Amino acid sequence: MTDMLPVVVVHGGAGHIPKERSERSTEGVCSAARAGYIILQGGGSSMDAVVGAVTELENNPNFNAGCGSVLNVKGDVEMDAIVMDGKSLGSGAVSAVRNIANPIQLARLVMDKTSHVCLTAEGAGQFARSMGVPEVPQESLITEYSRMRWKKNLEPEANPVEFQMGKMGTVGAVAVDSEGNVACATSTGGILNKMEGRVGDTPCVGCGGYADNSSGAVSTTGHGEAIMKVILARLILFHMEQGQSVEAASDLGLAYMKSRVDGLGGVVTVDPQGHWAARFSSGQMAWAAAQKDTLHYGLYTGEHFTQSIDETDTKHNSHIPMF
Amino acid sequence: MAERFSPDQNREDQKKDLKMSAVVVVHGGAWAIPDELAKASVDGVKVAACEGFSVLKRGGSALDAVEAAVRAMEDNIVFNAGHGAVLNADGEMELDAIIMDGRTLGSGAVSSVKNIANPVTLARAVMEKTAHVMLTSRGANLFAESIGTVTVPTDTLVTEYERKEWEKRKNYVTGVMEDFNAQWVHDTVGAVAVDCAGNVASATSTGGIRNKMVGRVGDSPIIGSGGYADNLSGAVSCTGHGESILKVTLARLILSHVEQGRSVADSSQLSLQYMADRVRGAGGAIVVSPSGQWAATFTTDRMAWAAVDQDVLWYGLDPKERFKEQFSQ
Repeated sequence: MTDMLPVVVVHGGAGHIPKERSERSTEGVCSAARAGYIILQGGGSSMDAVVGAVTELENNPNFNAGCGSVLNVKGDVEMDAIVMDGKSLGSGAVSAVRNIANPIQLARLVMDKTSHVCLTAEGAGQFARSMGVPEVPQESLITEYSRMRWKKNLEPEANPVEFQMGKMGTVGAVAVDSEGNVACATSTGGILNKMEGRVGDTPCVGCGGYADNSSGAVSTTGHGEAIMKVILARLILFHMEQGQSVEAASDLGLAYMKSRVDGLGGVVTVDPQGHWAARFSSGQMAWAAAQKDTLHYGLYTGEHFTQSIDETDTKHNSHIPMF
Repeated sequence: MAERFSPDQNREDQKKDLKMSAVVVVHGGAWAIPDELAKASVDGVKVAACEGFSVLKRGGSALDAVEAAVRAMEDNIVFNAGHGAVLNADGEMELDAIIMDGRTLGSGAVSSVKNIANPVTLARAVMEKTAHVMLTSRGANLFAESIGTVTVPTDTLVTEYERKEWEKRKNYVTGVMEDFNAQWVHDTVGAVAVDCAGNVASATSTGGIRNKMVGRVGDSPIIGSGGYADNLSGAVSCTGHGESILKVTLARLILSHVEQGRSVADSSQLSLQYMADRVRGAGGAIVVSPSGQWAATFTTDRMAWAAVDQDVLWYGLDPKERFKEQFSQ
């Protein structure tokens, strides 16, 4: 068992990623997986690793979280995030928070410094200030790309709900550390042109993520409303509790979501022994995993590339696809 | 110890009746309800259960029934929902609610909404009039305005009793990690129902915890925690220590046991015991199955609850209590 640990798996969102942006998304998740792995190898906890990985993705303007978040219908950025600790079932979440660079870190502060699990909107902002979290101008979170897509979706013929799959989604990570503790973290700007105050699955325990040392950890992405209706993260872990593998459980959960509520998405899943899976029912999901000094990654269905964790370049190396 | 019970009657003989029997169950919060609130709480849940059942009797849906029952409790100042809700650390009222339709898994929720007398109705509007499941804070209020929901001044929603209690606690240090205390007010309200067509629904509404941090969201509006409904297994509404309920996704957990063949009563008891053991949280839950089995279970000192099933009104407050009367509209 020990050489399966530690492990970290990250995703950069399920959905249609335009080809011209796919390289950046692959690089981004690989870099985040490496960052998480370094933390684990240095003796950091699974919580430290998932927060570290997601922080990187929030800071990366190519992902819909933190900087690079999609805009709500008013052209503002409202962000959601969650962390969960599999040992204590402790959790921290923020919804509709504005003007901070790293919602995932604020979510962790909610867990560590308050007796609550979730803070929303203005209250989350007040708490951030009380913790000395720097307030950042909204402009610093908005990219040309997100502004362009927002404008496009203001047009009357646009269909944002359908179109929301045409962008990079929520980011997230799961990990198991050397002590066998699991954790998850998920962060997002939500869906394109959402109503002000719209909260999706991400900050809802059991939906955007769940972590329990007795079964495993999951971070989800995809159509938020559909994920909520089936409590996707918790559903996958129910299947694992009943003996399904990480892969089978993930596929069962995603298939149910598709058939019952017509929703598509993706997940990264890990069990306390270090078995992991990155599965998606959408066309693509940027993902990467680090385990046993090996980096695994993929984007399109069926892809599974590997290389040594020490190789820093995922663009130009020849990879051997594995299925 | 978990208090559990379900009706005695043998539902086998009901199967002769092709028409499914409708059932509604309500709760007015699981906590150490003080004696001075006991009678009003029990009266309140009885009225709410009868309201819900009247809807079912006229052929209304489970969704209509749970909304009506919860509205009755939101309008009742004795409960911590709508009128009579508790105040946050800033002395303001922030309300949360959820409603869910077991047939479609459709759901609507609001968190931290202000100056709305019936958050459960607003939650239903989120479900029926938007492409979303949940709206929070100012966004939720803007939506309410856009559909013509009346805004009421906070003063009409706050009771003198609550102002006094809030003043007393104001001096209590907030933000400090504290162990869950069964004496905290958790009188969230909720309802579950199954209608004549076999559809189930659930609804939950609350003002949260007195003196909570501004923007604190508990379990109530979070799908799978404060409530859940699925025609394949049943409907649940939870109450108690919100943070604990969230950590174990209590509503969905209870139904996972039902899916594995356990009775609604056993499923509730097992789940509440798990919550006590794993995260040291206490609370209560009401459950109804698509076939009309139901249970009201709690691990707190008291829970005001009532149910109407086959024209019999059941209700209780203390553990093991089970009173009954004939239902009358």
